[in-house]
Amino acid sequence: MTAAAINRLGLAVFALFTLAAPWLLPLVVDGFWVDIYSEMLIWSLLAASVNLLFGYVGLLSFGQALFFGMGMYGVAIGVAKLGLGFWPAFGLGVVLATAMAAVAGALAVRLTWHYFAIITVVFSLIFYFTALSWKPLTGGDDGLSFSMPPMLALGDDWELSLTDSTVQYYFIILVVGACYALMGVILKSPLGWAFRTVRENATRASLIGLNVYLIRLTAFIAAGFIAGVAGALFAFFGRYASASYMFYHVSGEAVVWAIIGGAGTLLGPVVGTSLLIVLREELSHAWEHYLILVGVIVILVVIFAPRGLGGVWHALVRRVARAADEDAGGGDGEGRS
Amino acid sequence: MELVIALGMNGIVWGLIIALIALGLSIIFGLLDIINIAHGDFFMVGTVMAWFVFETTGNYWLAFAIVPVLGFALGALIEYTVIQPIKNAAALSIVATFGLSIILQEGVRATYGAAPTRLTAPIEGTLPLFGLEYEIYRLFAALVSIAAIGCFFLFLHRTKLGTWMRAVRFDPETATAMGIPARRVYLVTFAIGFAMAALGGVVAGPITTVDFQAGVDVLPFCFMAVIIGGLGNMGGTVAAAVMLAFFEGVMASFTDPTMARIGSLCLMSLVLMVRPHGIFSGATR
Repeated sequence: MTAAAINRLGLAVFALFTLAAPWLLPLVVDGFWVDIYSEMLIWSLLAASVNLLFGYVGLLSFGQALFFGMGMYGVAIGVAKLGLGFWPAFGLGVVLATAMAAVAGALAVRLTWHYFAIITVVFSLIFYFTALSWKPLTGGDDGLSFSMPPMLALGDDWELSLTDSTVQYYFIILVVGACYALMGVILKSPLGWAFRTVRENATRASLIGLNVYLIRLTAFIAAGFIAGVAGALFAFFGRYASASYMFYHVSGEAVVWAIIGGAGTLLGPVVGTSLLIVLREELSHAWEHYLILVGVIVILVVIFAPRGLGGVWHALVRRVARAADEDAGGGDGEGRS
Repeated sequence: MELVIALGMNGIVWGLIIALIALGLSIIFGLLDIINIAHGDFFMVGTVMAWFVFETTGNYWLAFAIVPVLGFALGALIEYTVIQPIKNAAALSIVATFGLSIILQEGVRATYGAAPTRLTAPIEGTLPLFGLEYEIYRLFAALVSIAAIGCFFLFLHRTKLGTWMRAVRFDPETATAMGIPARRVYLVTFAIGFAMAALGGVVAGPITTVDFQAGVDVLPFCFMAVIIGGLGNMGGTVAAAVMLAFFEGVMASFTDPTMARIGSLCLMSLVLMVRPHGIFSGATR
């Protein structure tokens, strides 16, 4: 088996598991893990938006929670204050987040590295404090909750709504899956290679005629869009929006998830996010101060797997593939492949 | 007007304490290329240790002597166990220090508790100043901060170890080739950084509250002081910290504190846009 084949197999197993999770998880562990799994997938999108910027363009953003929060508030304000339906509210959240990313990005990507990191924190803090103090619109500390509008209503007696947990689950995996597919397509396209070129060496990139500013801005807007979708989904998932999700700590967690999962790998963020959320769920029952263990594990992963769990996976796959090759080359005729 | 003066003075005092903490962050940042997310928690651990010294001995003055030493030891331990294995990888340092931050916060919550307490200042009473009665302890806090910052600059420019630190920062390879023990310099630098944050905690303890989440507010402030002052420009860091805190204090006398915070953040993004390498970048070149 070649490395690519093993990766495809792994992806297929993951996809099958995700599709079957609403039946599989209650059988194996407990029904509430379906909810946790959906939450994990949503948060992984936030980590993926960090990864898109840091792993592929080399820009470390500590402000992705801003766009997550915009997506969240777009949905919550749309439903609770403007009386919008499901899809317009969803659209409002995503458009708000993307527009915010375009404005913030136009200013922020002029800076790089430490300066870029700090300006993204500053931007997200500005809107965090604004959301905290603008109580009539955002609900301030208490947040803003709303009741779920139907996705689709036919006649008077049939409607499709996220209040049905199966519908909700499949809606979430559909949207999350579409986002990863979109990122996959972008990263395979010439634009994706331009991203990597800028990451490796911005000066050379500009010398071969790439518009570095525009490429960085494109990546920033795309990442804002992804984070906005995550926020909108999370608002629907919790029927709630709160300023606390815009705090820089949330952005920081997303950075940690992305790097633990393996920056620069498409599905690394899913792995990193899953690991930390599973740890939280499992350990929090066992010990009140379980966060100490989480901290220790995070440090150990960074020390022993500096390329993240995605890096460990790829190294493992390469080794297995090489071993299989050697076996086949050894020609003992057993036909392992 | 009195309110403006009082809050402006509070801003300057707080800015000097922040400058002390931010200098610790700056040397860790500049010398080890470590983005220390846990630095705010180093400060928080300082306040908790000060509280602990006060509870056991009943004497707050002892904390000024003991806590920086404890901070130095803790910093050395952390550098040896956590920072050395990931040396020179800034992205990994974010994750590792994030883990450290979780451990410190949760560790304090497990031992000290979650309820914030207020320490009483070791000096009580007020002093007439600019037409208002100003707390003596705040003036004392400002003096201690200035003294500590002054000692730090003397150390950096007048001692062998300080010269080594600047040399390693300038060119680690040449410094090592010339016999400077770079590894030990890294260890001592990180430990000094922790000690300065911890001293900041002792000084600030009676002004703010002792709380396991206290570092969360302090951290972005310190980073902004370091960046706006210009990376590696220590004097700039001090000036930026004092100016930002003063500006926020004066703003707070006109609007509510949250609006003041938003105002100072807007000012900061403006500065970063106009002078991306710090307000004093022209002066250093």
